[in-house]
Order: sequence, then C-alpha cells, then structure tokens
Amino acid sequence: MTDQSHLPDRSLSDHILAALDITVLEWNEESGTFQLQGVPPEWWSRCFGLTSRSSLDLSRCSPFLQDYLTGIHSVWQGAPGPIEKSGPWTESDQQGDTMTLEARALSLGPRMLVLIERLGSDFENMRSIVQRARERMLVEGITAKSHRNTEIRLIGRLEASERTKDDALALLQQLGLTAMVLDERGRITFATDRTLEMLGIADEGAIGQSWDQILSLRKEDHLLVQHLLEGSSQTRSVGPFCLGRPCSKWIELEIHRDLGHSARRILVLHDRTEVHALRQALNEQASFHDLVGKSSAMLRVYQLVRDVAQVDTTVLIEGETGTGKELIARAIHSSSGRKNKPFLAANCAGLTDSILTSQLFGHRRGAFTGAIQDQQGLFEAAEGGTLFLDEIGDIPPNVQTALLRVLQEKEITRLGEAKPRTVNVRVVAATHHNLSEDVLRGSFRADLLYRIRIARVQLPPLRDRREDIPLLAQSMLGQICAATGKTIERLHPDTLRLLMSHTWPGNVRELKSAVEFAVISCKGTEIHPADLPPEITGTTVGPSPSVFIPLSNPDEKTRFLTALSEAKGNRTEAAKRLGISRATFYRRLVELDIQPH
Amino acid sequence: MMQKKVCLLGGFAVGKTSLVRRYVTNVFSEHYQTTIGVTVEKKMVTVDRQDMMLMLWDLYGEDEFQHVRESYLRGSSGYILVLDGTRKATLDTARLLQQTVVRTVGPLPFVAIINKSDLRSEWEIDQSVIDQLREQGWPVFLGSAKLGQGVDELFARLAEMLLSAAPPPRVSR
Repeated sequence: MTDQSHLPDRSLSDHILAALDITVLEWNEESGTFQLQGVPPEWWSRCFGLTSRSSLDLSRCSPFLQDYLTGIHSVWQGAPGPIEKSGPWTESDQQGDTMTLEARALSLGPRMLVLIERLGSDFENMRSIVQRARERMLVEGITAKSHRNTEIRLIGRLEASERTKDDALALLQQLGLTAMVLDERGRITFATDRTLEMLGIADEGAIGQSWDQILSLRKEDHLLVQHLLEGSSQTRSVGPFCLGRPCSKWIELEIHRDLGHSARRILVLHDRTEVHALRQALNEQASFHDLVGKSSAMLRVYQLVRDVAQVDTTVLIEGETGTGKELIARAIHSSSGRKNKPFLAANCAGLTDSILTSQLFGHRRGAFTGAIQDQQGLFEAAEGGTLFLDEIGDIPPNVQTALLRVLQEKEITRLGEAKPRTVNVRVVAATHHNLSEDVLRGSFRADLLYRIRIARVQLPPLRDRREDIPLLAQSMLGQICAATGKTIERLHPDTLRLLMSHTWPGNVRELKSAVEFAVISCKGTEIHPADLPPEITGTTVGPSPSVFIPLSNPDEKTRFLTALSEAKGNRTEAAKRLGISRATFYRRLVELDIQPH
Repeated sequence: MMQKKVCLLGGFAVGKTSLVRRYVTNVFSEHYQTTIGVTVEKKMVTVDRQDMMLMLWDLYGEDEFQHVRESYLRGSSGYILVLDGTRKATLDTARLLQQTVVRTVGPLPFVAIINKSDLRSEWEIDQSVIDQLREQGWPVFLGSAKLGQGVDELFARLAEMLLSAAPPPRVSR
C-alpha cells in the first residue's frame, strides 16, 4: 500500500483538486494558453478531452467558456485579489449529456488561475426552489387574473343590472304605476314614487316599514289582505278597501307572488277613489234610501223627497198599491231633521173608530172595556219624530176630526182623559184614494185634506217606469238570493223581456213576488221565463189598469180565501201571496165581507 | 464566417428557452423548466448570401430571484426582448432590460417578440400598446413558440439587422 501521508507537494495538490472535483487552469503568459493543473475531474475529460498538464485549446471550448476566458484578462489587469465568477452555464459533454458549470478567476501573486467546478446538489436544490417559486408566481398570477376577470365580469353584470334596474324604474315611474315590493316578513323594500305620492308619505318613511303600517285598512280588510299575502296564489285582486280614518281613499290591491323570490310579494295599488265616488253618485241616482230606480219619474220623486225633507210640513203621498209609499215616508223621515227620532207607521185601513183612536192618541185606564192600564198612543210614541198614516182615506169621520185637531193644535187627548197633551210629530200620510173625489163624496173632510196635503208626493206606477224593471229585478234577485242562500246570477234576456212587458197592477210589490217565485222555481244560475209565475208568462202589454187592483171578479173572494187558507190565517203572509199590501188586503177583506178567523 | 452573440432577454417564463429550442431544434415542450444561468445554442443562418453563426445566449429570466449579470451582455451583437402577451408585467421587465443593455453595452440592434399568441384571448397586452411600442422604434413581432408562429421571422429579421450593423468585410490587397 502507498503511504498517503507523505505525498510530495504536487501530488498533494493534485489529490486535493481531485477530491474537490474542481478543474484548475493557469494562464501561461509565455505560451498565451491556459494550462491544466493537476489531474482534471472525470467530467472535464468527458467535456473537453484534456488530460493533466495539457494546454487548453480555446477553439474546442464551449462559446460561453471561450467568452469567459477571453474576457477574464481585463479582471486580472485590475486590482489583485478579487474573484470573478462566471455565473452558471450549461455545458454538454461528448455524449450529449448536460451539466452546469461555474468558473472563478483569481490571481495569486503573479499566477493567474481559473477554477471550474461542476455545480452539484446544492445548485439543483436552489434551482428546484426557484422553479417552485416561479411556478407558484405563475399560478398566483393566473388566479389573480381570474379573480380580476371575475371581478370585471361581476362589475359589468352589476352595472348592467343597475342600468336595467334604472331603466325599469324609469319605466315604472313613467307609467305612474303604484306598486310596492314586500319581503318575506311583509316589510316594504321598494315603492314607486307614485305610490308614495298616493299614500302621502316620504321614501325614507316607507322603506323597511311593515305594509300594514303604511296601508291603514279596516280590521276585516287587514285580515283579508294578510291572509292573501300569506297564501300561495300567484295573483289575487281584492278590494276596494277604504284607506285611512276617516276614509280618504279607496284602493284595489293586486297581490302578486314575486316569481324570482317566492316569499316576496308585489302589491299593485289601484286608486279607486274617483271610481268609488262616481259609483256612489250613480248608486245614489239609481236608488234613494231603499227605493230603487233611475227613471226620470223616480229621479223627480227623489228630488221631491229631498225638498220635502227640508221643511217640516205634513206630506201626502199618493200612489197605487205596491208603489212603495211607506218607503217614501221613511226616506222623508231619514232625510229630515227628525231622522234621529222615532218613525212609526200606522195602517188606518180596516180599523174601527175606537181602536184607531186609541191606537193613535192612547187611552186612560178604564176608558173602555179592556183598557186595563194607561196607554200612550202613536202620536206620543213618535214624539219628535214622524208618524206615517197609511190609507188615510179610510179613517172614520170621528178620527178625521181628532186628527185635524192634532195637526192644527199640536195637541192630542187620550181616550178617557180631558186634558190635552202637546205633541211634536210630523205627519206623513198616504193613500191610494183620490181624496179630492172623497171630499166631493163627503167621505173625507176638506179641511183635513188641505191640512195634510201641504206637500204632495205622487209615486208613478211601475208600468210608467218600465226602464227601472231590470234594475229593480236584479236588486231583488240579489236580496232574495242572499236571504235564501241560492246562487242565481242573472235573469235571462227573455225573462227580462217578459217582465218589461207585464203591466204590473201590483207594482213593485208584485214584481218582488214574481222574482221570489222565480228564485224558488229556478234550478240553475239563470232565471228563465219558465221560472216566472204563469200570470206573467201569459201577459202582454195591455191597457193601463185603474189605480185599483182589479179584484172585482167573482173569483176574487175565492183567491183571498185560498191565500188566507194557505197562509194558515196569517194575513200578512196572505197579502204577500196575493202581491198586495197589508193595508189593501185589510180593505179588501172588508169590501169582500170576509171574516178572517 | 461571422459569429454573432445574441442574448435572449425577458421576464421569467416568457418563453425564451422555448423560442430558442423551436428555432434551433424545432422542438417545443409544454413542461416549464426554469433556466438558471446561461445556455448557449448555435444556429447558422444565411443573410444576403452571407453565412452567419448566431450564438444564442439563452439567459435566465429576470425577476426578484435573479437579475441579469451585466457580464453576460458583454460582447453581444444584438438581443431579443421576449414578452408574454398574457402578462402585462413582462412588458415592464422588457423595458428595464432594454435600459440595462443600453447602459451596459450601448444601443444594439434588437427585436421584440410578444410570445404566446396561441393564447391571444387571454392577452393583457392590447393592440394599442403594441402600436405604441412600434411608434417608439421597437420592431415588435407577435408569435408563438408553441405553434412555431413568427419564430423564424424574428431571428431572420435580427440577423438582417446584425448584418446591416456589422462593418463591411475587409478586402485583402
């Protein structure tokens, strides 16, 4: 074995260089070449084919090494000592494999050296770190770019959405639509300017508020709207509802489910105040209190009633049976200053002298047989209000005298008493008689006639206002259906035609009776001619009847008796079945000499 | 035969190595392998019937990890600035590198290529910027090392510029 510890100097340096895997080149000034020092590493020989102590042929070196070795002289010519690194470069060996080398130039006194080493694992680690760092930067760059693009896209969408919203809003405002959007808790998230204007509130006052704080509805309307808001229906229309207390507006509501967010609701408000006012005005024209009709004859009656109501005089209402004389009397009372006082009605027909006197003026206990206690009469009971005396043409002469005294003196005297009592009652009388003729015949006092006829209202028979028949029939149909629970929507045109052509001797009362008959007969939702009473279906327009119901034929008594029998003695019901008023019924009973049981 | 040292300069991952490989060996690899140091490739070209050996110095990319050593630039006859069209920041790097070259070795012939035209939809460098560069005297090429587009034209143009800039050959008496 060789003793390695005593190697000569040259051999030692060669071994050190071999151990360090470094190639050392020394510049030979004389030959102008680089001289390889020591034994070069194996990789050097693979690249450049040089063995120890040979001169380096620059033309065989790689371009990089050539460049470096050529340029290194300028370094050596400078200040001694510094080491000039080449930086790493890639070199290929004769087999085409690559390696990374780095050279350092240094001067040791007069000797100028170049050390070339192959960069190993440390270099590879560093390359790996840089590689990872750059890859990461690239990925982050791509991510950042993606985020930027997403941001730009979203901003673009947002801007487009804002533009769309602005456009929609502008359109909405331009259309003047009154609408608001409610969130899932019923709070207002949006309301158009028109809505705020209509409700008279500021924007900041509405947004975030619950709908019922903004729409002040009556309790039952509130419950209905709340119910509909909680429902799942796509669209519902309700109303009109009265807004505010006192009622300042009438609105109809359309409740839509927001198709984008099923829990949200869109409320479209329609201001129906004007329509409501017009409808009310129309209704007032078409009806007056409980009177229905918009014919010119009835409009004149309504106006007359209004005029009469303004004064406190006695009124005489004239008209055929069934024309609604008592309704007129009630309308006068309701339109007058006495409306908050009693309205009492007395039928003067068919009553005896004493009964009628007692009924009107009252009696004292013991005044007559059966008068077991003091009893006030209708005049006293109606104190401050209105007393309606129906069939005043039928009152006996004695009562006429007493009545005249009341009207003149404003005093009544109870039967059995001597001391008069002061009363304040407005008398409204009605009759189907021609009282002037009665005066001529001597059956009615002229002075009483003049006293009660200070104001007159003449009610037209139904045949003189046929244009009111559809309105009356429809109104009656609604009332009767509501009472009976039947759902009949309309009258067939042929039915209406028949109703229009009938002469209606019993006037409105007869019409109501016919409609009641038809409702009972009707099996569908529309009244057909076959549903009407036979006397209507067989009737055509004929000559005007007399103001009296034509009950003078021989069958009349039979009809009355039959009606009484079917009504089991109930005179009101019997009168209804015959289509005549109770007053007429009583009068006819007397005329036909029928003694009801 | 003329030998011309040409440096390829640009930010990291712009495609300098890919351009050289596509030009010299007509090969492209999708795999990104960062360059540390320098790799020198040679390519013989003929310009105006004159042969010219281009020594293509593929330098590592400029970024915060590595800055181009000015010593690498010495002896260059020209250079190529490489930009990545999908990263606008590589334009800033190219401008800085150009200033470094001018400061170190003076105004040399150069060409610029905006690489990765195969990803044109993702480019951040738009036409107005390209027009501005051209107005500033930059010979700008658009190309793709991946597709081989504009590569030969790029090097051919630089070779022409190098030939134009080279002193006329000496005539022996």
